[in-house]
This record gives sequence, C-alpha cells and structure tokens, in this order.
Amino acid sequence: MAENMEKQENMETQENKDLKHTGHMAQTGIYLGKLFRMFVFQSDWKVMPMAAIIAGLVCFVVGGNLFKTMEGTLLGTFALSCVCIWNGFFNSIQVVCRERPIIKREHRSGMHISSYILAHMIYQAFLCAGQAAITLLICTMMKVTFPAHSNITPWPIVDIGITLFLTTYAADMMALMVSSIVHNTTTAMTIMPFLLIFQLVFSGGFFSLEGFALKLTNVTVAKWGLTALCAQGDYNNLPMVALWNSAFKLSGLEVDTDNADIQGMVENELLGIDPEDTTIVELKEILKDEGIDLGKELSDAATKRINDIMAARGYKFKITTKKPVWEAMHFIEENGLKEELLHKSAEYNRNPNYEGSLENILNCWLKLVLFIVLFACLSVASLEYIDRDKR
Amino acid sequence: MDESMMYWQEMFSSIITYVSTALQMIGLCALFIKIGKKGWKAFIPIYNEYELSRLAKRDYVGRVLILFHILSMVVSITVSYMLVDDPDMDKLWSKIFLLAELAVSICVFMLELRVFNGLCEVFGKKKLWIAAWAFIPGITSLIWGFSRKIMPVMSIIDVKGVEESGHHVEAIEDGLTVNIRKRTASDFLKRKTLLKDIHLAIPRGHMVLLLGGSGAGKTTFLNAVTGYEKADADVLLHGRNIYKEYESMKYDVGFVPQQDLMRGNDTVLMTLEDAAKLRLPESVKRREKKKRVQEVLESFGLSMLANTLVDKLSGGQRKRLSIAMEFISDPTLFILDEPDSGLDGVVARGLFEKLRAIADSGKIVIVITHTPDRVADLFDEVIVLAKDVDRTGRLAFYGPIDEAKEFFGKDSMEHVLLAINQKEEGGEGRANEFVTLYNEEIKRKAG
Repeated sequence: MAENMEKQENMETQENKDLKHTGHMAQTGIYLGKLFRMFVFQSDWKVMPMAAIIAGLVCFVVGGNLFKTMEGTLLGTFALSCVCIWNGFFNSIQVVCRERPIIKREHRSGMHISSYILAHMIYQAFLCAGQAAITLLICTMMKVTFPAHSNITPWPIVDIGITLFLTTYAADMMALMVSSIVHNTTTAMTIMPFLLIFQLVFSGGFFSLEGFALKLTNVTVAKWGLTALCAQGDYNNLPMVALWNSAFKLSGLEVDTDNADIQGMVENELLGIDPEDTTIVELKEILKDEGIDLGKELSDAATKRINDIMAARGYKFKITTKKPVWEAMHFIEENGLKEELLHKSAEYNRNPNYEGSLENILNCWLKLVLFIVLFACLSVASLEYIDRDKR
Repeated sequence: MDESMMYWQEMFSSIITYVSTALQMIGLCALFIKIGKKGWKAFIPIYNEYELSRLAKRDYVGRVLILFHILSMVVSITVSYMLVDDPDMDKLWSKIFLLAELAVSICVFMLELRVFNGLCEVFGKKKLWIAAWAFIPGITSLIWGFSRKIMPVMSIIDVKGVEESGHHVEAIEDGLTVNIRKRTASDFLKRKTLLKDIHLAIPRGHMVLLLGGSGAGKTTFLNAVTGYEKADADVLLHGRNIYKEYESMKYDVGFVPQQDLMRGNDTVLMTLEDAAKLRLPESVKRREKKKRVQEVLESFGLSMLANTLVDKLSGGQRKRLSIAMEFISDPTLFILDEPDSGLDGVVARGLFEKLRAIADSGKIVIVITHTPDRVADLFDEVIVLAKDVDRTGRLAFYGPIDEAKEFFGKDSMEHVLLAINQKEEGGEGRANEFVTLYNEEIKRKAG
C-alpha cells in the first residue's frame, strides 16, 4: 500500500516536471512590473527632472540661434545630441551589472534572458520617451524656434521629438549592452566616459575629421542623431553668419596706411567688385592728382576732400582713413545686401550630409533603429553566458 | 653622430643583450636543476619564463606571460616590416603598431615583476631582488642558480593526487544518485580538475551535511549535482537523469545561494509572488499560486512581514525569504549553500530545524555549513570533501555522522575539518590519507 502511494507520488512529480513553465512574454511582464516599481519606489524617476535641468541649461546657452542660422543650428543640434546621449547612458549604464548576481540566480531558476532584456527595453523606451518629451517641453518654454516645415509627420516638433527619442534610446541600449557585458558597476562607470567622449568626438559634425577617423563617425549614435536634427532644421538653407560676425569683429579695425588699396580689397572681398572697376581706378587717380602718396597716412582733410569729390561724381561709398571694414559693412547694410551676403556665404558651406530631405531623415532614423536592435541583441548574447561568471 | 659610431653602438647593445640572455639561460638551468626540475627547459625561450613563473607559484601569470610574449613578437615583426615602407613612421597604422609595441612591452615587464615577486616569496628573499631580476637578469639568475644560500622556503615539488577508486554506485529509484567521474574547468590555456571520483547515493527524506575546507569544491559539487555546471557524471534524481532532462528538472531542484540575492526595493510578498510566477508551472491557476505564496509565508514565519521591503529585513528574515523563494516550487532536491552564515546560534538552529522538517516531508536536503556541530544531530549523513595534493576536490567520506567521527578519529565535525585541511590553512594536512583510506574502505565493502 505504502509502496503504491509512493509510486503514485513519483508519477505525479514526474508529470509536474513535464509541465510548461512561465513563457517569455509572461516573464517580460513580471520584470516590467519590477522595473516600474523601481521607477516609483526607488530613485529611477529622478532621471526625468535631471533631463529637464540638462535641457534647460543647453537651451539657455545655445537655444538662441538654434534652427535660425547654420552655426547656431550645428552647435545647438550637437548640444542636443550630447544631451540625448548623456541621458541614454545614465539611464541604463548600471541597471544590469548592479544586479548581476540576482540575474544569475534567477536565470538558474528558469528566467529567460531575452525576457529580462525585453522588459528593460520596454522600460527604457518609456524613460527615453519621457526624457525626449521633457527636452522638447523645456525647449518650447525657453522659446527655442523650431523649424517651420516638417518632413515626416505634419508637425515639425514631433519629427524632432522622434529623433531625440531615437538618439536617447540608441545611447541607452548601448549603455545597456555595456552593463550586460561588464561584471560590476565600477567597470561600467569607468568605461562610460570613454564611450561618451568617443561619441562626441566622432559625431562627425563639430570636429573636422578625415580619412579613417571620418569613417569611424558612421558607427556613432551621435552622428546619426546630429545629422537627423540638422536635416530637420533645414541646415543647408539657413543663413551663415560666421563671415558677417568675423567682419563685425574687425569693424573697429583702424587702418592708417594705403586706404585706397584696403578699401579696394574690402570691396573686392565683400561685394565682388572688380579692382579694375572705374570707381577704384578713378579713386587711385584722384589720390595721385592730389599728390597723396600711397602708403602714407591720409589726413582727415584729404579724406574729406576725396569723399566730397566722389559724392559730387555720384558714387555712393566713402573712403575713411580709420575703419574701412566698418564702412564696407555699413555700405552693405544701407543697400540691403546683408541677407543676400549671409545666404551667399552659406551656399559655399552647405553639407550634403545634412540635406533636409525625407530620405536622409529616414536613413538616419533607420541607422538609429539598427543600432538599437544590434545593442539589444548583443546584450542578450552576452548575458546568456552569465552562468560562466566566476564565483 | 656619425654612422660608424651608430653602428658600433648598435653592435655593443646587441652583444650585451645576447650575453645577458645566455647568462640568464645558464643561471635558470642551474636553478631548475637545483630544485629538481629539468635543466634543458631553461634554454627554450619564452617557455623558460613559464617554468620560472611556475617555480614562483605564479602559474596563471606565466600563461598570460606566454601570450604576451607571442603578442610582442607578432607586433615587433609587424613594426619591422612597417619600417621598411615607412622608415619615419609617419603613417597612422605605423604609429598605432608602435604604440601597441610599447603597451605590450609594459605589460610583459609588469607581469615579469609579479613573477619575480613570487620568486622572492618562494625563496624567502628580500623584495630588492625584484629590481635585480628586472634590470640585470643575467647576473641575477647566475647568482640564484649557483648560490647554495638561495634555496626555496616553500614546498615546490610537483606531486600526483590520490588514485581513483574506480567505484561506481548503483542508481537508487527513490533518491539522488551521484556518480561524478571528473569535473574540469579551463583556466586560461590550462585545464584544471576541480572534482574527481565522487560516488554516492542519498535516499529520499534525508538531510545531508556537506563538509569541506575552503577550495575543496563544495559549491562546485553542488552545481554539478544540480546540473547547473555539468561534469563528466551521471546524476539521477528518482531515476531521472538531471543532465539529460535539465530544462524540465531544474524547477524540481531548489538552490539557495550563500548570499541573499533579492531585490531590496520589492516587498516580501512581491518577491514571493514573482518567484511563484517564475517557478510554478503555467497550468497552476493564479488563485492557487496566491494560496501557495500564503502557505510559504506562514511556513517560514514571514506572514507579518509580507508588506515589508526586503531591504528592511534582518539577516535571519532575509535568509528565510531566500529559502522560501526556492521552496515555493516545492522542489524534490533542496540545496543550501551556507544558509546560516551571519546568523546567531539560536536563529541558525531554528532554521536548520525547519530544514529538517522539509527533509522529513520527503525531500532531499543538502546543506553546506561551516559551523556543523551546533546542528550535527539534525543530519542523517555527512559528505566530506577534501582537497588532495594536486588541489582536486575528492570524496573523503560519505555516511552517518557517528561513523564519520569514528572514521576520522575525531569527536566533532569541526575537528574532522581540521584533519583534512591543508597545513597552510592551519589544518593537519591529512586529506590524502583519508581519501586513500575511504577508497580502500569502499573497495573492501564492494568486495
């Protein structure tokens, strides 16, 4: 009798063992629950206000010319990409390695690594989306001008938001991968600055790179985030103010020698006037007739006399003995040529990578999505070997 | 500097290097012969350094050193080829390889320092000798090789472990049968035997103590038994092969690790509910899972703490929760790695009484503990693992506690442990003796 009972018990145990256990999706749900509990009860929610502070600082510093001028857009989008990468890295650099022994134990008890990583992916997507939304909100509050035209969705701000999200999420997944590979938080936090610097230096937009270094930019999240943002901001059709700003800095420059030649040079540079132009030729003749030697200081009386003659003959510009650059800029502004000049100089500095086309933006997004998938796969692959960790 | 001057400088440098290498080899040869090794090994470049590192009890460093020496050779050859095309080393790759050569050289130097440090320890010499080995290796090795005053102060003889018993236990239908022939692990270019020749059978309802000094392979043994780290073995639980049916049987084996590996931000109830979701079959209804959680909470005295965060629990409470997490799936084989670590005597006793009750309910319970005497009466049998001379975990005894005391001639389990521990660890260093004796005993019983 006792033997029969024992046999029956054995059979029951065997049947139980053959039963199906919690599947991948159900396990993902369990871990999602854990992660969201961490968000609420632990300190994970703090990444949201942190994102707001960082976005606020960046907008304060570079928000003024963002999507207004070429230089402002490049600087601003670079800063925004950095914000995204920073946020992404900090979201997940420690999440796996800090609980590695627990994962090992749970893996031993039947936890699927893919479910665990999927739960993290969903949770991190939630964090990144929140951070992207907060960044946009702060930009709006700080009166950052967003592009007038959208490329993909009907709303430009949504296009920008998607790029910010994808950049943050790709950086997040890269950090998740690092966190899955390394065995402790110290190693993770040692590696992180190197990754961050690599992303910033090889973003491809801000630092001039050549050859192999330029090719390296293709493997950075920063490059595709920055490119997408520049394309969405219509970088190539924005005015370039660098030349004007440089000239403005030189406008106080006082020149005491050969004014006619300098004037001619400035005219030639800024307006494309031929030095053989009759005005310049006539000016030189006047200087000669008046007995004013080239290379010698021009007196105020001589300058006034020349300017009077030029005005009488119908010429619009004046010669100054002291500030020729200022005179030229003044002339350009008086004649309404400034905008034309800014766009003209932008024309020569267009970057084909930042072409504001639908294909270009979609290509950048695709690259970011590929990075996300790749990093997630590598996270799963590396964690699958967790059982081999040394005790 | 004119060309002839440079030529003679290079020539002089080469002669110095060759002479130093030759002197070093001669010195090493004498050193190897002096300590009973084969002298010719000193004349094989790179390998002689590995032998030196073994002599310095830095086996692992020696293997890494071999790898770095090979790497160094590859990089140096590459740099030499690059110098032909790019004598000024202007190209990017030339610069990278030059940097790599420098980096590898630094690594080799640092590893060699570790070996020299080991040599000083083994020969009981001052650390100043490290500098001598590093900067004048030729003369130093000659001094060490030929001086009669420089002799090892530590044991450096290569010895063989105890022979295998060749015994194999018959599988029992109702219990755990373990036949581990060998458990090896690779450790950087070398295969190490962690466990060897362990054969035993534990009937259902028994609670077994697993005893052994540090490094004897207790956790390795448990991992091999559960199928988590597979060995060259046959492990059968109630007639089913754990290795072959690991995916389905792993839920029937509960393993409680030494550390309390739980998430501190979850409550006790949430921790157990998640454990139930993970470990219980899908067919078990949600209501039944909740019921099981409540049962386990009550059984382990955690009901009052159900809504307390894990971080807020005391050491004993955390330990009980950690055990409860595994117990939730009602495993047939229940294994605990030092469940009483960090617990006071009364709490530990209570915990072991709970484990005894689990065993009495028809489970097999195996426990590692470093304080066995306070709970020795609760165990049915003891497994004694010992590290033999080649540092492999061996079975020194398996049987009832009283018989173990008689076998080792000791009156407590802690004294048994002292008898098998190595002398360097403060023990009697009699592991080999008892492993051999137990093998003979088994052979005698088997007829």
